[in-house]
Amino acid sequence: MTPALAIKNYTLDYVTAAGPVRVLHDISLEIAPGEVLGLVGESGSGKSSLAWALMRHLPDNAREIAGSLRLSDTDLQRLGPRELTKIRGRRLGMVFQDPSTALNPTLSIGRQVTETLLQHRGLSQREANALAVDLLGHVELRDPAAIMRRYPHEISGGEKQRVIIATAFGCRPDVILFDEPTTALDVITGARILALFARLREETGVAALYISHDLALVTRVADRVAVLKRGRLVEEAPAADIFRAPRHADTKALVQAVPRPERRLVHDKPGDDVLLAASDIEVHYGRAKLFGDAPPPATRRIGLDVRAGEILGLVGESGSGKSSMARALTGLARFSGKVRFDNRVITGARDMNAAYRRDVQIIFQHPDASLNPRHKVGEILSRPLKLYGGSAAEIPRLLEQVRLPDSYARRWPHQLSGGEKQRVAIARAFAARPKLVICDEITAPLDVSVQAQIIELLLALRAATGTAFLFITHDLNLIRQIAHRIAVMRQGEMVDLLPIEDFDADHVHPYTSELMAASPVPVG
Amino acid sequence: MIELLIRLVRRPQGLVGVALLALIAIACLFGPALAPYAPEKIDFLGRFRPPGWQNWLGADQFGRDILSRLMVGARSTVPMALVATFVGSAAGAIIGVGSAYLGGRTDEAIMRTNDAVMAIPGLLMALLLVSTLGNGAGNAVVAIAVAFAPGMARVTRSVALNIRNQDYVKAAIARGESAVWIIFREMLPNVMAPIVIESTIRVSFAVMLFATLSFLGVGAQPPASEWGLMVADARQYMYQAPWGLIAPSAAIALTAIAFNLLGDGLRDALNPKDER
Repeated sequence: MTPALAIKNYTLDYVTAAGPVRVLHDISLEIAPGEVLGLVGESGSGKSSLAWALMRHLPDNAREIAGSLRLSDTDLQRLGPRELTKIRGRRLGMVFQDPSTALNPTLSIGRQVTETLLQHRGLSQREANALAVDLLGHVELRDPAAIMRRYPHEISGGEKQRVIIATAFGCRPDVILFDEPTTALDVITGARILALFARLREETGVAALYISHDLALVTRVADRVAVLKRGRLVEEAPAADIFRAPRHADTKALVQAVPRPERRLVHDKPGDDVLLAASDIEVHYGRAKLFGDAPPPATRRIGLDVRAGEILGLVGESGSGKSSMARALTGLARFSGKVRFDNRVITGARDMNAAYRRDVQIIFQHPDASLNPRHKVGEILSRPLKLYGGSAAEIPRLLEQVRLPDSYARRWPHQLSGGEKQRVAIARAFAARPKLVICDEITAPLDVSVQAQIIELLLALRAATGTAFLFITHDLNLIRQIAHRIAVMRQGEMVDLLPIEDFDADHVHPYTSELMAASPVPVG
Repeated sequence: MIELLIRLVRRPQGLVGVALLALIAIACLFGPALAPYAPEKIDFLGRFRPPGWQNWLGADQFGRDILSRLMVGARSTVPMALVATFVGSAAGAIIGVGSAYLGGRTDEAIMRTNDAVMAIPGLLMALLLVSTLGNGAGNAVVAIAVAFAPGMARVTRSVALNIRNQDYVKAAIARGESAVWIIFREMLPNVMAPIVIESTIRVSFAVMLFATLSFLGVGAQPPASEWGLMVADARQYMYQAPWGLIAPSAAIALTAIAFNLLGDGLRDALNPKDER
C-alpha cells in the first residue's frame, strides 16, 4: 500500500548572510492512510519548516538539498503553482497554530468556509452554504447558521479553531497538517479541540501529521511519534512506547522535562507569618465615559494571602483575571480593596512606597517584551541596583546567580535566546532582594525542557533567599509539582483555594476537577 | 559613535547620504573660501550668462555667479533648517512621548491642544510668529520649530502608545522608576526610528519653509544668498534664464534627498537587531 505521505531523505538549508544553515538533516518519514504521526521537537528543531516544505510554501532563502516529498503518488516538489492550488486545501489541509491570525478579519466566517468548497468541490453557492452549515455543526459549533454570518472577531479563539478545522476537513483531504493547533488556546478549550479531532479522525479516516512541542499531548493523539532534535530525527516509535521506554537520550530528556503532578519538587513547609494579605480586590480597567458606564471589574472581590517563603499557585484559563491580580498587586492596574503587606495597608498604587516596590517584584510572561531592546543586559540589571541600593559591581554576581556568564552584561537582549532572556528578567527581579516575586506565566512561551530549567533555577533561588512566589500559570501539572497551595480562578472569581495535599480530594470545586481532567497527563 | 558611522556607510543608501551631506558640510564650512567669485560681485556684461566655463552654473540677473552664491548660501540655509527641525522634532517628540506615558485626561488635554495648533497651517503659523517676534533669520528658525512640533508630537505619540503597553515599561513602573526616566530612557530610545525618519524628511520642508519666509520678506533679507531667496529672485526670469531657478532648486532637492538617505541609513544602523 502506498503511504498517504512519504518524506524520503529530505534535507533543507536556509541561506543566510553567514552562509547556509542546515535546518533538516536527511529526514525520512511515512504516514500510512488513516494514521496520525506526531512530530515532537523543541522550538528551532525544524518541525515547522517541514510543514511549510510539505505545503510548498518555503521562504525564498530555503534550498532543498536532497530527498523527495510525496503525497501518495504525487511528487510535491515537481508541482507548478497552478497544480499546487489544486492540491492545497483539496488533498493536503493545514490547521495553524494561532487561530486569531489564520482567519481574514474582513470576511465573514461563511465566506471563508465556502470559499474552499467552491474552489475545490465545484459546488454551487447554495450547495456550498448548506454544506458549510453542516460542517460547522459537525465541529460542535452551536447555531452554525448564525456563525456563518459572523466575523472572526465576534467568535472566541476556540470557536475560530473549530471553524478552521471544519474548513480543513471540508474537502475531505488525504492528509491534514496540524501545526501546534492547541498551543494558543487555554487548557480546557484545547482539550475539547483534541476530543473533536479524535472524533473527526475516527469518522473520516484522514491521515495527519501532528506537530507539537508537547510530548505528553502528542502521545494522546498520535499513533506513532517521531522526535526531532536540531533538524535530525532521533527517535520514532509507537506513541504508547515512547513515553514508557524512550531509547534515545534526547527523548529521555524530553520525557524527564514533562511536568508530572505526582513528582513534587518542593518538600519544605512555608512559615506561618502572612507576608501579603489581599482582600476584596476588584481590578478595574477603563473609566466611566460621559455616556455609558465603566466596564465591570476584571476580578470580583478576590481575597488571598501569601505566607513567607510560600509558593502560591494561581491557575485559571485565559480571561479568568489571574494576570489582573498580578497587575493590581504591582500597582499596574487600578483596583479597589485592601492589600496588607508588612503591617502597612495599601489601597491603591499611590500607597506603594519604595520599600513595597522593592519587596514585591514581578516577572512577565514574554521576556522579549519585558526587556527594553535598546538597553544592554548590564544596564537592565543596574536599574534595580540603583533604585534600591547596591552597586554595579554586583552585576556579575546577579548573572552568575541565574547561571549566565558575566560577558552577557555587554549583550543586547535580542542576542539572547528566549530562556536566557527570561533568566535576565529573573536576575532583575532578584536584584532587589525581594520578599515576594510574582511570576506571570513566565514559562508559557518556553519549551518544556527550558521550562524545566527555569523552574529548577527559581527553586534554587528560593532555597538561597527564602523568597515567596505567587506563581500564575495555566499549566496545572507544573504548578502541582511546586506549589504549597493553589488558587483556582474562573471568570474573575476564585472558585478554590486549597493546600496541595487536598488537591486530589473529592471536595474540590467541579471546575477544578474539570481543569484537572483537561490537563494532559502523560501516557504511561 | 565610530561604530555607528561604520554601520551607516556599510549600506549603499547610508553611504550616498553621508557622501552628499559631506559635500554640503564642506560647502557650509569652506564655501566662501572655495567659491570662484565673491557672491555679491556684480558683472553687467555677464547678466543671464548661461552655464559655461566662466560661470559653471550660469549667472543671474545682476551677473552674479550662481555657483558661488550657492556655496556661500549653503551656510545660511542648511544649518538654519537643521536647527529649526531639530528643535521642533525634539520638542514634539518629548510632548508626544510624555502625553502617551501620562495617558487618560492629561493625554486628552495635551493632544486636543496639539490638534488646535495643528489646525493652523504651518506657513501661517510661522508668519504669525515672525510678525510678532520681528523679522530675521533667527526668529524664522523659532517659527519653523514651533510649526513643526505638533505634527511631530502626533507621530511620536502614536508610536509611543504601543511602547507604553510593552512589559518593559510596565516593569519600570512596577519598580518605581520616575516619570522622567521612563519617558527619556525607556520610551524615547524605542520611538527614535520614526522620529529620525520623520525629521530627516522635515529638513527638506524646513528648507522650503525657510525659503518661503525669505521670499515673503520676513526670513533672510536680500542680498543674502539663501537658496530659497535665490529661487524666489530667479522666478520672474524663469523663461529667460531657467538655470537661475534650476540650480538652487536642485541644491534644495539634493539636500532633501541626502537627509532622506541618511535617515534611512540611520534607521538601520540605530536598530541593534540588525547586527546579526
